[in-house]
Amino acid sequence: MKTFRVIVRFSANSLQQVLSNVPVFLLFFFSKLVRYGLFLLFLILLFNGVTSVMGYSREQMLMFYLIYNLIDTTAQLMFREVYRFRPLIVSGGFDAVLTKPFSPIIRSLFGGPDFIDFGVLLIIVATTIYVANTYIHPSWLQIILFLAMIINSLLIAAAFHILVLGIGIITFSVDHLVMIFRDLTALMRIPVDMFTNPIRSILTFVIPVGIMFTYPAKVLFGLLSWQLVVVSFVFGGLSLYLSLKFWHYSLRQYQSASS
Amino acid sequence: MKKYWIVFQQSFQNEFVYRLNFILWRFRNVLRILMTYFLWHSVFSSNSNVFGYSKEQMMAYVFLVLLVTSFVMSAPSNDNVGGEISNGTLNNFLVKPISYLSYWLTRDWASKLLNMLFAVFEFSLLWFLFKPQIYFSQSPTQLLLGIFLTIISALIYFVITKLAISVAFWTPENTWGFMFIILVFMDVLAGSIFPLDLLPKSVMTFLQFTPFPYMIYYPIAILVGRVDLITALKILLQSMAMLGFWYYVVMKVWKKGLKNYAAVGI
Repeated sequence: MKTFRVIVRFSANSLQQVLSNVPVFLLFFFSKLVRYGLFLLFLILLFNGVTSVMGYSREQMLMFYLIYNLIDTTAQLMFREVYRFRPLIVSGGFDAVLTKPFSPIIRSLFGGPDFIDFGVLLIIVATTIYVANTYIHPSWLQIILFLAMIINSLLIAAAFHILVLGIGIITFSVDHLVMIFRDLTALMRIPVDMFTNPIRSILTFVIPVGIMFTYPAKVLFGLLSWQLVVVSFVFGGLSLYLSLKFWHYSLRQYQSASS
Repeated sequence: MKKYWIVFQQSFQNEFVYRLNFILWRFRNVLRILMTYFLWHSVFSSNSNVFGYSKEQMMAYVFLVLLVTSFVMSAPSNDNVGGEISNGTLNNFLVKPISYLSYWLTRDWASKLLNMLFAVFEFSLLWFLFKPQIYFSQSPTQLLLGIFLTIISALIYFVITKLAISVAFWTPENTWGFMFIILVFMDVLAGSIFPLDLLPKSVMTFLQFTPFPYMIYYPIAILVGRVDLITALKILLQSMAMLGFWYYVVMKVWKKGLKNYAAVGI
């Protein structure tokens, strides 16, 4: 309960910070909407020239992209503080985090949610529900499984961000790793099936961005076997477990050298 | 001229200081191309001709995006000029017998040279891995025009981005906001994900009056032979007019900005 209260406080502080400069908030908000909108427009235009891509219809391709944005934006909203972790380590400010009676990993992950993404997320959720309702017509079981898969994707995202934090403690470098993760996830604006092997296998089972972004959409379409659903959850749990192990290992390596 | 040559040499050497950062940056560029490549690869797996493009032309387009983007959009000035205005270090340059914008243009070109060397290597590696069939224009004149237009595109990119960053003269606490929106538009409307002639004709006609298609789409369209020689020449003239217009605007804005500049960050 205390953890939850502190996260709410972090969120309130972050929201106040965003609202302190409304024009900048609106500028970034508008830019993000334009970015998503232009790619959606491209997908719609593409299907003026072709009937399907790898057997996927226009509506399914739109859903893949919307679900990619749904998961990606939620992860960015929640874990934005990871992007500010390096200065904390380099300056020695992480000492203050460690001395407080609050979990340093929760502080480092959830310390500054990005509320510009929150506004964008609401629009993405509304659009996803509209497209799913109008064109996909999933069953209740598919919807429940889809939501479970989304939570699983966020667990994998959390695992990756924890890994980045751990590496940050050991190497003092975070920025490029996070950006490479962002670029890897951006590959999933299209379904992982479109990549040829071995890239497809790497993106599914080594760096499980395929499980994170493509599989939830496929569950919603009823195109994913139950075996792969189980494999996805195993990956989710395992990646979180291993990243936490690595986090504890990296904490033991922390030398507070900059303070 | 000699002082800019020295800046060029030093900047080129400076690029090697943070080698890991540079290699990771190049790796990110390759990742970005992969999505576009596999998307179009999938599209052409069940279609032989899409929007008038053959598979060979589209693959050439996707691969050339890597080269043209590396050349046109490598610009360390984007990450530094705004900060130097807002924190007041611009003062260091104002008292020196050197043009600040020319200084950063020179540094950008040093970065472009290194990025191009890597991009050619990456281009070859990707070509070796995927072995796509690629079609280029058969006309040497058109290929030369395409290369020349790419150089002008890099100058247009420099001018437009510096215009966006000059907002920092008036709002030093926000150096990135306007630049972000320009980059967002460039992301799609410059043609790095898809050739812009997929867009409806009216939209394409409108885009001609913006700088975006000149950055990536037009140079590549000329190189892969999507337009004839006369149209290529017309595009080249348009791009020079575009460069002249935006150069005039940025110089005016920069002059006004300098009058407003108070080195508040010092």
